[in-house]
Amino acid sequence: MASRTRLWCAVTLASVLALSACSGADESEGGGGNTLRILVSKHPLTGPMKDMGWVAELEKKANVKITWEEVSADWDQKKAAMLAAGDVPDLIVGTNAINSTDLATFGTLFEDLKDDLDKLPNVKALFQAKPQLQAMATQPGGEIYTVPGYKRFWPETVTHQYINKDWLKNLGLKTPTTWDELYDVLVAFKEKDANGNGDANDEIPMDWSPVGTTGFGYFQPSVLLGSLGLPIAAGGGQGYFVEDGKVGNFLVDERYRQVLEFLHKCYAAGLVSKDVMTQDYSAYQSVARGKGDVAKVGFSWGWTASDRFGAQLAGQYEATAPLLAEAGQSTPVTWTYDSYAENFPANQIAMSAATENKEAALRVIDAFYDQDLSIQVLFGEFGQNITKVSDKEYKVLPPADGKSDPSTWKWTTTIADNGPTWIRDDIEVDLPTDLQEAVVQAEPLMPALKNMDLKQDVYPGQFIQMTAEDLNTLALSNQTILNITQPKFAQWITKGGIAEQWDAYVKQVNDSGLPANVSIFQRYYDKYAAQHS
Amino acid sequence: MRLPRHWQLWAMLAPAIAFVGVFAYIPMYGIQLAFRKFTFQNGLTGGEWVGLKYFEQFFESPLFWTLMRNTVTISLATLVVGFVAPILLALIVNQVVHAGRKRFMQTATYLPHFISTVVIVGMLQVFLSPSSGLLTRLAGLAGVTDVNFLGDTSTFVPVYVISDIWQHCGWNSIIYLAALSRVDTQLYEAAKIDGASRLKLVRHVDVPALVPTMVVLLILSMGGVLSTGFEKVLLMQNTLNLPVSEVISTYVYKIGILSSQFSYSTAIGLFNTLINFVFLVVTNQIAKRVSGTSLW
Repeated sequence: MASRTRLWCAVTLASVLALSACSGADESEGGGGNTLRILVSKHPLTGPMKDMGWVAELEKKANVKITWEEVSADWDQKKAAMLAAGDVPDLIVGTNAINSTDLATFGTLFEDLKDDLDKLPNVKALFQAKPQLQAMATQPGGEIYTVPGYKRFWPETVTHQYINKDWLKNLGLKTPTTWDELYDVLVAFKEKDANGNGDANDEIPMDWSPVGTTGFGYFQPSVLLGSLGLPIAAGGGQGYFVEDGKVGNFLVDERYRQVLEFLHKCYAAGLVSKDVMTQDYSAYQSVARGKGDVAKVGFSWGWTASDRFGAQLAGQYEATAPLLAEAGQSTPVTWTYDSYAENFPANQIAMSAATENKEAALRVIDAFYDQDLSIQVLFGEFGQNITKVSDKEYKVLPPADGKSDPSTWKWTTTIADNGPTWIRDDIEVDLPTDLQEAVVQAEPLMPALKNMDLKQDVYPGQFIQMTAEDLNTLALSNQTILNITQPKFAQWITKGGIAEQWDAYVKQVNDSGLPANVSIFQRYYDKYAAQHS
Repeated sequence: MRLPRHWQLWAMLAPAIAFVGVFAYIPMYGIQLAFRKFTFQNGLTGGEWVGLKYFEQFFESPLFWTLMRNTVTISLATLVVGFVAPILLALIVNQVVHAGRKRFMQTATYLPHFISTVVIVGMLQVFLSPSSGLLTRLAGLAGVTDVNFLGDTSTFVPVYVISDIWQHCGWNSIIYLAALSRVDTQLYEAAKIDGASRLKLVRHVDVPALVPTMVVLLILSMGGVLSTGFEKVLLMQNTLNLPVSEVISTYVYKIGILSSQFSYSTAIGLFNTLINFVFLVVTNQIAKRVSGTSLW
């Protein structure tokens, strides 16, 4: 009911604003020709824009005065009302704040920047350096409504795999390399007092991040598909993947079934957290932080050991390589490839088509992609967060607030990953420790990631823009499909029954429009592959 | 035109009429969105006329019956239990003679009403966690083991309804307490002289006094029979209970707001409203026949 009310609000708002728009046009001039209204969609941790040192530099470079509208919560709802009302501020800043689905519907609200590239030298240079970003920004009709970015330093995967090496040592076990070995290790974790605190029942052998009703994501067991050679991207999403140039959906793949059977075997033996299907993300994080020096979780996935298990326990964990489904298998293992989403963030800045000060807005967009400003937007201002060593060398400083960790510090002092950014390939940056840690802990995964052919095994969804018609078809069927597959995922792991239900399930999912969706993805993939071969 | 006789009353009513007109009637022109293919360029009313296409799409959706069944189950259960519980509570509170204790009981039962939904669901998560939840452990002591109250498809509705009653029962009983306080004390005395017991007093004096209030409230709540508490359902949703927790409003949220299918979600919303309206009218007619009390 509330969502219907919300829609009504949007509708009412639209009508009210449509009326006021006629009279409002000449009034807003009052602010002076050099003032811009910029909306920024921020992380809830991020402080006010006025406290960010680089903002003054941005204003100076672009020679404008900026009035910020800062949104830290409920952006999706606010956005729907704002777009339906057509009330767009001069610029909207935020990675995917305006996403491709919005552009398919509301594209005309935004300025087409294709003809303005000459006034955006930084953006033009970015497109020359990274042609895939231009492909990504270009709509099916040829318009460029938003500018994407390039962050360069993020590892090729976000999901890292960890096992508690102290527990292994306490129990005299070796790091598992196959599913069977993992199973045996987890059984030992469960039955013995692995953490040595005298209680043999407080160990959680395995845990993963909450799987949502809208698909798969980071830190989830979808990475086990890699043990069977199924290449996924960005944690799995709604199941679509490409393998040797052929698009499929793992939700109906035999290998997905094998993974679920293995997970059920683990769950039935009590090796998986009982809360795994119902806990929220914060509970999932806090339980792994343990109590003092006593760890609670044996095997899990996360961004870095310090983020996942807390600074105090991080040392107990080691990053491990992907598991083999069985010893001596001939199929090469794979992992989840997340670099596209992390290093090539989409839709970072958009300009209103109705802006009265287009030149100034263009200057602001271009300034964001300046070398010095980009790095400050991402890691924080010079002096406080970064030392500029030379023209090509930068050093990211540890948090000035001793109690903070590098990631929290970054997110509180700047808009970070939400801001428009182009990190040049020819500069040298001393990275913050969390990013260094993530890169180091991704090393065991590198062989598996190397087994994936970027052209043939990773769906370049990030670089493809679809028509509104196709997006609608995909959205409608996906909603139905996920309503079937996500409950089954949870049910088959916790209660079993996959053997009897699998065939009927596959048929049901296929009847809900999956083949049509796969062929849409295939069509765009083929077109993209042909253009970029 | 002659000024109405009670023009002062009309003047006082005017702001309310204007409010309802502006915010409820004028926006109704937007309903046509349900019959048009929405494209932003052509605006709210300029899209291509597609008739009942979006309604058919919804009726033919494989999710249709699931959504209907879930929505009706959750809201009927809430409606029935949520209708009876405040009446019982009011009758009990009314029996408490000591003024201080009565006030304490009333306050204690209606305070949870002010806790926000997010916090309530957070509390449920803590109390009902399958590994460490207080209530899960208590149930374990009582012999009910291995139940995941948050994930099991058979416990979702009870958990939803019971927590809802716990939260709103006290608040909803206030109106009944008000009705009870207006009962003429002579009736009690007369009944006592005739030898009525305490239970009989409740049965033959209190309950009849509540009937008109009960009927009006029942009719009003029947008007919202397909409206479930969107926030609470969405927050309580997880992959395990999705088969019983996906209701019309959460589906509209996912398809309409998250996937920008405005026409489709407007059509579903309109369908929802029509069903509610039918229920309202039917209940009203039945109440008129049976008890003589009705809204119109």
